[in-house]
Amino acid sequence: MRIRKKYLFYVLALASAIIAAAGTTTDTYISMYVSNPWALCLSIFIVGTIVTFLLTSLLSIKVGGKAMGSRIDPSFHGIRLIRKREIKYQTIAGFANAITTLAYFYVIWSYNDPFTPATILAFSQIVIIYLLAIESITEKNAPTLAEVQSAIIVSFGAVLASLSLKGGINARGLAVVFLVLNPSWALFSIYQRKLKLLRINDCYNDAINIRFWNLIFTTFFTFIAIIAMGYAMHEDLLKASLDALSYWNLLAISMTIAFFSYVFYIRALGLGKASVTQAVKSSTIIFSIPFSFWLASVVGGTIFESSLHALIKSMGMAMVILGVISFALTEVKGYVFINAKTGHSIEELIQEIWKIKGIVSIAAVAGSYDIIAKVRIRSLGKGYERIVRALEEIKGIASFKWHSILKEWEEI
Amino acid sequence: MIKAYILILTYVGNLKSVLNELKNLENVESIAVIAGDYDIIVKARVENLEQLMELTDKIHAIKGVKRTNTQVVEKEIET
Repeated sequence: MRIRKKYLFYVLALASAIIAAAGTTTDTYISMYVSNPWALCLSIFIVGTIVTFLLTSLLSIKVGGKAMGSRIDPSFHGIRLIRKREIKYQTIAGFANAITTLAYFYVIWSYNDPFTPATILAFSQIVIIYLLAIESITEKNAPTLAEVQSAIIVSFGAVLASLSLKGGINARGLAVVFLVLNPSWALFSIYQRKLKLLRINDCYNDAINIRFWNLIFTTFFTFIAIIAMGYAMHEDLLKASLDALSYWNLLAISMTIAFFSYVFYIRALGLGKASVTQAVKSSTIIFSIPFSFWLASVVGGTIFESSLHALIKSMGMAMVILGVISFALTEVKGYVFINAKTGHSIEELIQEIWKIKGIVSIAAVAGSYDIIAKVRIRSLGKGYERIVRALEEIKGIASFKWHSILKEWEEI
Repeated sequence: MIKAYILILTYVGNLKSVLNELKNLENVESIAVIAGDYDIIVKARVENLEQLMELTDKIHAIKGVKRTNTQVVEKEIET
């Protein structure tokens, strides 16, 4: 299938957000039945691993020579064992996922009222800025000013949209969110992206197996953590978790929803940056509104605490929408055809050009040119400042021609 | 595995129909409309040089294609 990559990215990230919105509603419903958050944490991962195994196996069934799951992720060819190269990444991702979930439940468990956790957890939306900060250090393709702006708008909007005015803010809760939850969540996203970008048999890794193996690692780490906490708290958390398994049907629904949400999210991660994917996924807040209305009509309760709360939430949501749209603003892409001077090593030349920010791929070619580089920048002005000027400084280049891309289709 | 860039020049007024034909070709990784000396740049991914020749033959056969210029990739670095 050949479509424009940008569209596919937004379709996947928004699909993930809509599915996740349904998931948050189910989780709220479950928490009414299972009162011990630690037990819920372990039991949900145990049920999740079983459900995901069944779903992955089901999706491995071949219809017309192709696994059914290939409709969700074309790279999927059936359930498989973990590869050696994946173990390191899955260990980090699984550990980070376990820590994130435990920190999340810790905040919920620490306060007697339901409002304070909501207010404190609202700050977990700042994770977008964490991702942005990590990417500006580690990624060659560093975030542009416009991306930084959009990310800040989205994350502040998301905080406002998920705040509870009745809840308080305290240093301990915020410390958990800022020092434990957000860093581990950022790590989780980054390693899921690394896994998706791995090549398995010369094809990109598939989101379905990544999710399946991630749950196994996460359940393992959560199990160890819960046992350790049980000892520390002198409580039989394992028994409480087994008791919570009696709600397996609710947990299974929740984890089935999570499975599809994550598969789309991981696929989107493979196409875009982790920060942008996370920002688009923040729109979960908006999509969860109709589900919350539905839940409120079934079990009672209100969504807006006061008219002021409704106003703040609406402003937050407007910011999220604005931020996501401004991410989608067009960027400039182009090809630069380069001819080298004789007597200069092409190998050294491509390494030198590769160092320029904004170059996304570079190839030494045989033909009328010597090198073809692909560039991606926010504006043509930046193209001149960052790329053209830098190319002119390189001694081995005899001439180069800039060709802006007007429209592009890619094989997905 | 061989990768190549195929630069295509079209006759004026044929760009859209050429693009539609290109979208149906196998072994094509990406297609971009560009502004400059050429009109379209196709990135191809083939098993061997013979397949590359078949692909360029198919492109030549598309009505509206004026000229092509194939650049075979010797080494590539990607993000």
